[in-house]
Amino acid sequence: MRGRGVLIPNYVRGGSIVHRTPLWLKFLLVAGCGLASFLIVDWLVSAVVLAVMCGLFMLSGAGFKRLVHSVWLVTPILLVIGAFQWWQLGGPVAARIVLNVLVCVVAASVLTVSTPVQALLDGVVSLSRPFERFGADPERFALTIAIMLRSLPFIAGAFSDVRDSARARGLERNPRALVLPVFITTVAYARQTGDALAARGLGDPED
Amino acid sequence: MNTIILSEVSVRVAVDGSPAPKTLLQDVSLELTEERIAVIGANGSGKSTLLRLLNGLVAPSEGAVTVNGADSMGDVRQVRSQVGFVFTDPLSQLVMPTGREDVELSLRRSIKNSKERAARAESVLERFGLLKLADQSIYELSGGERQLLALAAVLAVNPAVLVLDEPSTLLDLRNRELLRRTLAGLEQQIIMSTHDLELALEAERALVVDGGRIVFDGGAADAVEHYRALCSEAAAPGEVRGVAAGSSQGKVQAT
Repeated sequence: MRGRGVLIPNYVRGGSIVHRTPLWLKFLLVAGCGLASFLIVDWLVSAVVLAVMCGLFMLSGAGFKRLVHSVWLVTPILLVIGAFQWWQLGGPVAARIVLNVLVCVVAASVLTVSTPVQALLDGVVSLSRPFERFGADPERFALTIAIMLRSLPFIAGAFSDVRDSARARGLERNPRALVLPVFITTVAYARQTGDALAARGLGDPED
Repeated sequence: MNTIILSEVSVRVAVDGSPAPKTLLQDVSLELTEERIAVIGANGSGKSTLLRLLNGLVAPSEGAVTVNGADSMGDVRQVRSQVGFVFTDPLSQLVMPTGREDVELSLRRSIKNSKERAARAESVLERFGLLKLADQSIYELSGGERQLLALAAVLAVNPAVLVLDEPSTLLDLRNRELLRRTLAGLEQQIIMSTHDLELALEAERALVVDGGRIVFDGGAADAVEHYRALCSEAAAPGEVRGVAAGSSQGKVQAT
């Protein structure tokens, strides 16, 4: 079944202080974490920020399991990045880069577990209103975010399915047998999603 | 009463490596006014193309399609607001992670107030008996529940016409029955392609599509009989039937 690998966890109902925090503040937090990843130069500071983000996640009541799961899925990539940076720039820089990526992942997770998707989309619409004067459609911005949230787990799930199929045929070491079907599945999925949105009149320009 | 008119519609698509385009539908002229219409035919016969024309998902290469006077190409927004479309695989249709969010997504254009939208989504989900599943991931739902949810998301905006492309193909018998009962209770005009001949028999009118042409148009019982004969003929030993346009020899009965 596709969609098993959920990188950014879904909304968890609750009334925690994180849930009650205004959306703009949570947006600011995520943006701030993204910015900080360029500014922080000490891995110890990155570790402290990560600990704070993890604390906020736990405060939301979404649970340790969800936190570990969202981090676990990026672990293979982070290991590769970390090893490469260690080799190129040394341990402290590698630790800082890996921790900064984790800060961004956990901050995004804090936002998504404590905010219903529709509220998130309404927020995106409000944020992108100023761009309307340049011809941008805020609803399209929101729709793009919605599709992104939906597509990440699908692609992760497609990769998992294809890997199982390749294993069943003894082709797990053949990169072409893994990459090509995922690519084709993803393109087909994009077309289907486009059709589904068009059929529902979503994404058409506003009157 | 809704009126959908297809006037001499043909649909052709370019094929890689072939200089000639492939014909998916050929010279189809129909006036669809009945409340329940079934479209039956073999795989690749042109059923889905026919249905997709009604929502503007496919553009006619020749001819025109109008829904209550609105042209499917020129007034596509108006057409889509009137024609809801349900796909075979609900997973390709459900865009949001949970049912509640997906129904709310459908309502985003028509209801700007978020509280009002949430309340409306709640009532839609309740109507389809999906409230208890509203916050579950769509991946955790059964095939039948997903199909019902896809239906609910489409009906949330109250279209006048509901087009369903083989909605029961991926369902087991129990879920098929659930879908059948749900569809029977809807007030919308329903146009549905299906391989489920029992479901087709419940329609007032049925179209048999073969090789991109409407080879039979009439009562459901006669249509099913015609389709069975067509299948028997196609399955006859030593005989190969193409699905390309122009291969069908069927009889069209005007209604």
